[in-house]
Amino acid sequence: MALDTLMQQMVNGITLGGMYALIALGYTLVYGIMLMINFAHSEMFMAGAYVGLFTLTGLTNPKLVGSGTVAFLTKNGIGLVLLFTIVFLIAGVAIGLLGVIIERTAYRPLRNAPRLAPLISAIGVSIFLQNAVLLWVDSKALPFPQVFPIVNIKIFGNASISTLQIFILVSVVLILIVLDTFVSKTRIGKAMRATSQDRDAAGLMGVNINTVIALAFFIGPALGAVAGIFNGMYYGTVNWNMGFLPGIKSFTAAVIGGIGNLRGAMLGGFVLGIIESLAAGFLATGYKDVVAFVILILVLIFRPGGLLGESVVEKV
Amino acid sequence: MAGSKMDIRTNVQSKGWSRGKIAFAIFLGVLVVFAPVLLQGFQTMSFFVRVLGIIGIYVLLALGLNIVVGYAGLLDLGYVAFYAMGAYAAVILGEKFVTAVQMISNVGLRDFLVSSQFIVMLPVAAIIAALTGLALGTPVLRLRGDYLAIVTLGFGEIIRILATNDFLGLTKGAYGMMAPVAQPLGLSQLQLLPVAIPAIGFNFIFSVNLYWYYIVVLLIVLAVFVVRRLDNSRLGRAWVAMREDEVAASSVGVNIMTSKLWAFALGALWGGLAGVVFANAQGFVSPESFTFMESVFIVTMVVLGGMGSIPGVIVGAALIAGIPEMIRGVAQSPLLAGVIDPTLASAISGYRYLVFGLLMVIMMAVRPQGMIPSTRRAQELHPEDEKVLEEEDQSLWDLKHGADRSEHDL
Amino acid sequence: MSMGKFKKYLSVVAVLAAVALVVTGCGASTTTTTGGGTSTGPVSVTIGIGAPITQGATALGLGMERGAKLAITDMNASAEAKAAGITFTSTTGDDQGDPKTGVNVANQFASNPNLVGVMGHLNSGVSIPASAVYSRANIVMISPASTNPALTLQGLKNVFRVCTIDSVQGPAAADRATGDLGKKAVFIVDDSTPYGTGLADEFGKEFTAKGGKVLGREKTGDKDTDFKALVTKIKATNPDLVYYGGVYNAGALLSKQLKDGGVKVPMMGGDGLYDGQYIKLAGAANAEGDFATSVGLPLAQLPAGEKFTTEFKAAYPNDEIAAYDAYSYDAATVIMKAVLVAAGKVTAAKVTSPEGRAAIISAVAATNYTGITGAIAFDAKGDTTNKAITLYVVKGGVWIPFVK
Repeated sequence: MALDTLMQQMVNGITLGGMYALIALGYTLVYGIMLMINFAHSEMFMAGAYVGLFTLTGLTNPKLVGSGTVAFLTKNGIGLVLLFTIVFLIAGVAIGLLGVIIERTAYRPLRNAPRLAPLISAIGVSIFLQNAVLLWVDSKALPFPQVFPIVNIKIFGNASISTLQIFILVSVVLILIVLDTFVSKTRIGKAMRATSQDRDAAGLMGVNINTVIALAFFIGPALGAVAGIFNGMYYGTVNWNMGFLPGIKSFTAAVIGGIGNLRGAMLGGFVLGIIESLAAGFLATGYKDVVAFVILILVLIFRPGGLLGESVVEKV
Repeated sequence: MAGSKMDIRTNVQSKGWSRGKIAFAIFLGVLVVFAPVLLQGFQTMSFFVRVLGIIGIYVLLALGLNIVVGYAGLLDLGYVAFYAMGAYAAVILGEKFVTAVQMISNVGLRDFLVSSQFIVMLPVAAIIAALTGLALGTPVLRLRGDYLAIVTLGFGEIIRILATNDFLGLTKGAYGMMAPVAQPLGLSQLQLLPVAIPAIGFNFIFSVNLYWYYIVVLLIVLAVFVVRRLDNSRLGRAWVAMREDEVAASSVGVNIMTSKLWAFALGALWGGLAGVVFANAQGFVSPESFTFMESVFIVTMVVLGGMGSIPGVIVGAALIAGIPEMIRGVAQSPLLAGVIDPTLASAISGYRYLVFGLLMVIMMAVRPQGMIPSTRRAQELHPEDEKVLEEEDQSLWDLKHGADRSEHDL
Repeated sequence: MSMGKFKKYLSVVAVLAAVALVVTGCGASTTTTTGGGTSTGPVSVTIGIGAPITQGATALGLGMERGAKLAITDMNASAEAKAAGITFTSTTGDDQGDPKTGVNVANQFASNPNLVGVMGHLNSGVSIPASAVYSRANIVMISPASTNPALTLQGLKNVFRVCTIDSVQGPAAADRATGDLGKKAVFIVDDSTPYGTGLADEFGKEFTAKGGKVLGREKTGDKDTDFKALVTKIKATNPDLVYYGGVYNAGALLSKQLKDGGVKVPMMGGDGLYDGQYIKLAGAANAEGDFATSVGLPLAQLPAGEKFTTEFKAAYPNDEIAAYDAYSYDAATVIMKAVLVAAGKVTAAKVTSPEGRAAIISAVAATNYTGITGAIAFDAKGDTTNKAITLYVVKGGVWIPFVK
């Protein structure tokens, strides 16, 4: 009896963790290269969910695209794949560009400023974006249309996994593999790693720092947008302040894994998601965040650089 | 300029004050003491006294956090935890104190003690907050910069969640708690002295808002005094050394752990004091006053004002806490009732956070070192900012040789 | 260097001096306008609307603003207001659901010489400290939504509310659940707000007293969206009802996730769930069969209710009626009716004077008015005596009164 509940909580936790991992990647990419906590990242997640919602609503509105198209896009497998590919692409690219624009306007002038200046600028961007959505889009929470066919599949006793959870997990794992390969195998990926190790030396070796930073600010927000759409599909709503909680959780996940380390962010995301689900399921829901933060503190006391982070070397 | 940047000797502040500075200080003192009286006297302006009081609480918080962020160079994203500790201590222990005092049979003494409970609570809450700072600091201060930041963030959230969940039956959870005593010491006596000049519509009554405003101002004066002394003390110099280079500092005999713990405890203390004032001025404490965003705002005040700079931090706190209220106050004040349409006024005050966010970005782009940067900090080497410094030197070199920096980024 | 610094100081001094001048100047100029304001035309007085507009539960806050503004429009068009020579305007104070900001708003309202009363606030955590400010200024305050019992237990004469307190609504819901609905085992969830916690506490007590079994009690956050782990936990206890103390934003998501997770039992809640947005957010199929209690009789059963719905649709075609719109309408109307009564006693020009404000407070205390949410009168503490609770159920994608 308890075993299938445990299984179910693991399924919940891994799905949640997958979304945390996607957002955490954005934090860690930017931190690795810029050494800054991109506070506005949680708003990329929120904005992504909105763009995804509007694209999806637009593409499933018979008045806009014709009822035949809607039927094709929603009623059969190929149509659905096409529909969600378009939705994720549009949102990812739009939010990626938003990230680049923000970097260009708000962070680049601060590249040589004291270390906390970009943090404050990022907080400003975050407040601005939240209020922009609140004032110009909608102050209410909007329901996310349930286009994706959700079927629960029994896996063990009473425990089940839904088609949506499978879709999210498979997508997250694919994205992680692609990103990992991109960063470790391609030329521009190498440039990114070089920049994160030593920006100046990389610059001297012929790496275009601005391109690398812009790329980090494209990929991170784009992944955040994808996570935002998953979040909308999974929980069924989008809201102007939806980014805040997942934002600090994912930042925590990035730190648990070792901030600046891509695989660390992925691991941290899953670890945090599972801990939260188990804490909510077997302790008290009200204390799940306390458990998450206590685990964070414990991890850092015993491994000050995070789970996969390099051990901290004091600078001399 | 370039020479002074390389000079790592700390700049000993000159003791002599110029005439202009003295005049400015006197003017400022007069303004701080009498402007609220003037505001209180005119009904339409009287709410600014409350806004000033809230600004004062944030100034106190920012001065406290400045010890941690500005002096010791540790990023604390959970400073609100100490504020919450102070506020809850003031309410929970204040209540106990009032109950205990009720046993005194002498009515005069009893009433005096009851109304002065918050004065007793000030040191108590300060100590509790400082001890909390030590308790949190001891295990985690070994952590490097941003790791420490996230741990403090977590700690701030833990405190808030515990308060929400009525931890150990202490906090009444989401219901919140009323402050033990409504009328603080001496207020009723002060209220016996109304001044009215009907000809100009001036009608002054010593309001409860004004009372707490002056209490906050006294605490700020104390904080500025203590912080200045700290800055020039052995401990202050240890912080400077530590901030510049931990390894070098420890090799010349600075105990890093002790210095950091002192910074944490001394920073937390002011948070606790601000909490006591907040709890009593507000008359009510509930967990929703101590969210993560509060911590973020306090950090913003310190950075925007100028880390390590007392006037900077004060200006930063006044602006961040004051601007949204001022926009609202001016937009919706009956003063402008004839000038702007009420719908427009509502719209303006609805847009104030949007504008505020934008201003933060612009401010940082224009003055990344803060509005009034600390002169000492500007002259230091920062271990974490080594790269930055190199780049700064490089750009200086570029400037001299007329080269465009962007050409280096190939 | 020092010269430049001196100049900088000088400029700061100049700015501060200018501010001081403006401030004093403004103060003086206001008095002249007030002095000249005792003319013959209708007297314009202001109702303060205190609600979260830019932060916090903005959907509810904006609803409060809508409701109160609609009431003001109606009142201004009415014969009684015209006869009394008073026009009402409103000023919205955005409290952001934050106690500190709420008290700032309260002070600003108190400093407005034209203010006759405050319709607000939403959060109990804001209403309680703000009520003390209004009390000092002798301004009447009617909350349409704050249900924390402590609000009216402070002994303040100027504080009222038109919503019912948790200790009435919670037990009533539990009686219906155990009685009409025949539920025996409930899992209780709250949203950690004073409203949700109080409601859930009271529901649980009565449910146990009526012989039902409480299988579990969990706290969530009012901004939470992830209830998957909680749903799994609830599923394992196998309840026949889930009770949620909280507001529809998060409540709708819990209902949706419960059904997604295979917990096919109805969810029940208080007036915080009774909102069209609940069905939209949860999805009509998921919300089908969910219950909510609300204060007063159903809008459709009251003549004023139907009128309100039509008027609302005309004024705000893009908005749904939110949980507290109708209460806010009633709260604002009660204040305005009291102002008119007070105007009869002390003349219209003097309603904002100290004796006018005192007359408004006593007129509110003596209110006997049938509003949209039912008959409104206040007991000695300032709580509404309207204790009629209606049970609603979602059927065919809309809330309808439950009939056994």
